[in-house]
Amino acid sequence: MTNTSPTTHSKSFSVLPASVALITPIAAFAGIYLLFAGHNNPGGGFAAGLVFGAIVTLRSLAGVPNRLDATSLICAGVLIVVAVAAAPLFFGDALLDQKVVSVTLPVLGKIKSGSALPFDIGVTAIVVGLVIALLSGLRTGDVTEGDSP
Amino acid sequence: MNALIAITILAPLAASALGLLWRRNVMVRDITTFAGLLAASVASFFILAGVADDGTHVVWVGDWNPEVGIVLVADLFAALVLPVALTIILVVEIFAIGQRRTSWGANPALAGPLLGVLTSGVSLAFLTGDLFTLFVAFELILVSSYVLLTHQGQRAQIRSGMTYVVMNLFSSTLFLLGLAIVYAATGTVNMALLAERVPELPDAVQLGIGGWFFVVFGTKAAVFPLFSWLPDSYPTAPTTITAVFAGLLTKIGIYAMIRFHTLTDMADLGPAMLVLAGFTMIVGAIGALAQTDVKRILSFHIISQIGYMLMGLGLFSVAGTTGAILFLVHHMPVKTVLFLIGGLIENTQGSSRLSRSGGLATAKPWLAVLFAIPALSLAGLPPFSGFVAKLAVISAGVDASSSVIVAVALIAGLLTMLSMTKIWIGVFWGAPSEEAEPVPTRRGNRRMMITATSLAVAGTLTISVFAGTLFDLSERAAIELRTPGTYAAEVQR
Repeated sequence: MTNTSPTTHSKSFSVLPASVALITPIAAFAGIYLLFAGHNNPGGGFAAGLVFGAIVTLRSLAGVPNRLDATSLICAGVLIVVAVAAAPLFFGDALLDQKVVSVTLPVLGKIKSGSALPFDIGVTAIVVGLVIALLSGLRTGDVTEGDSP
Repeated sequence: MNALIAITILAPLAASALGLLWRRNVMVRDITTFAGLLAASVASFFILAGVADDGTHVVWVGDWNPEVGIVLVADLFAALVLPVALTIILVVEIFAIGQRRTSWGANPALAGPLLGVLTSGVSLAFLTGDLFTLFVAFELILVSSYVLLTHQGQRAQIRSGMTYVVMNLFSSTLFLLGLAIVYAATGTVNMALLAERVPELPDAVQLGIGGWFFVVFGTKAAVFPLFSWLPDSYPTAPTTITAVFAGLLTKIGIYAMIRFHTLTDMADLGPAMLVLAGFTMIVGAIGALAQTDVKRILSFHIISQIGYMLMGLGLFSVAGTTGAILFLVHHMPVKTVLFLIGGLIENTQGSSRLSRSGGLATAKPWLAVLFAIPALSLAGLPPFSGFVAKLAVISAGVDASSSVIVAVALIAGLLTMLSMTKIWIGVFWGAPSEEAEPVPTRRGNRRMMITATSLAVAGTLTISVFAGTLFDLSERAAIELRTPGTYAAEVQR
């Protein structure tokens, strides 16, 4: 699904698209930080999803076309979440049980992560998908006439 | 057992995601959503068998400690209601697959997957052992119900959908505040721990908490005086959606009420509940008499029947709770079937208004039979399941010598019978209506809808046949709920 904004911004006034383009990587970085911080600090998949969703909203306000399909994102997110929730059952653990892995990397130092990370990524995908769906829903706001069946 | 419990919650959710992904491939979409619902309902029967034999099964989600963790508890009450609810959704899904290609049907690309999400929420609401997860389950159900109710975007749907959303957001907000109050007072939202800690609180605080959650669950259950959103919104939705809502949504409010208020032993609220139960019964039954549309009459019946369940609960005795549980189990399928038949009537007449139908008893005798069975059952005539359920509730009332509420219940039953007669005269007797414009439906689809309805009617008859077993199970569940400490001991074991 390729969404083109109904209001094409005029070429002479391009401050908004330019600043949005500048902000995008910084905001994306903040989103990724929140995604990882969520295990032990404030943040997490939902917060990250909201930040990414804000990027998508800003970009669509600036008239940048959006190439993500909302439904696929939501479906993929739900499937990941369900898979992570059910996976421990196959190893005889409790539903939604998590495995924690820690690795020591050269620059970043000791990193603790685990099966909660894909879960959070799933949540992020659902939230971003919802924001995109809302945006495209707002573009087509019509009410069918007629009585109820 | 852990896996079975997981299936009832996760399978419909996964199926809805897959169904949404393949929403353009009709065959794959319908088969996936159906398979998810089928898996959940088969699993729920195994859970019932397991719990009836070996007792309560508890799942500690993620192995967290009881104070903060999420816990799923399959006790007899949950295990008894779950298969009924999931089977209803499954039957409605069969009906929906048949109805989809007609103009009355819900949007197939949306309705199937959303029904999956709703089912997942229903399973979670029945199985959860803590109040916060109950809130999440309610939201899961409500959010999908908002979309299901309004997705066709017709004026009437949006208008009544507005009331529905506002009422439910109101009660959800109260729920959230209530959670905060409970947590502040007891330091937990786990129901097993609450069962121990709430009775130790000062009387006023106990009553406050009980009253607060009575309002929360009462709004969801459409108890008088907070019922007006129901008869307004339900009839506007497509038949399949209304059938699921009618069978399940208000009943989940009652379920939560039975669980919470018996566990925390809110017997002091009993008299207030009985008064409201009386009003709910009478107002629902009289409201039904005033309507001129099959679906609206049936919607008012839901309210009146909620009164009976509330009466069973309000008596705060083992017999009363047994009656309420039995009534719940009987009411869910019967109500759903009646709405499915309402859908069939709409399909043959082009409208569910009484003035625009007539003469169906000669034109479609099988439809008359299909309608008569659940209608008589709902009105509480022997030998149908409604009789057993009503008898259980009313005899519990007689035992408790609450003669006023018993009298009210009997009068309401009579009024229900009267409004059923009104449908019977309007739709099945008389000359065939000239205004009838059948909805164009392909033969195969129509057969599928009739099969689903017949299956459901057969299901309600099965409930009458197994009424004895069900009564025993309900009684056991009621004893578990009414005996202080049983639930708590099972969960903390």
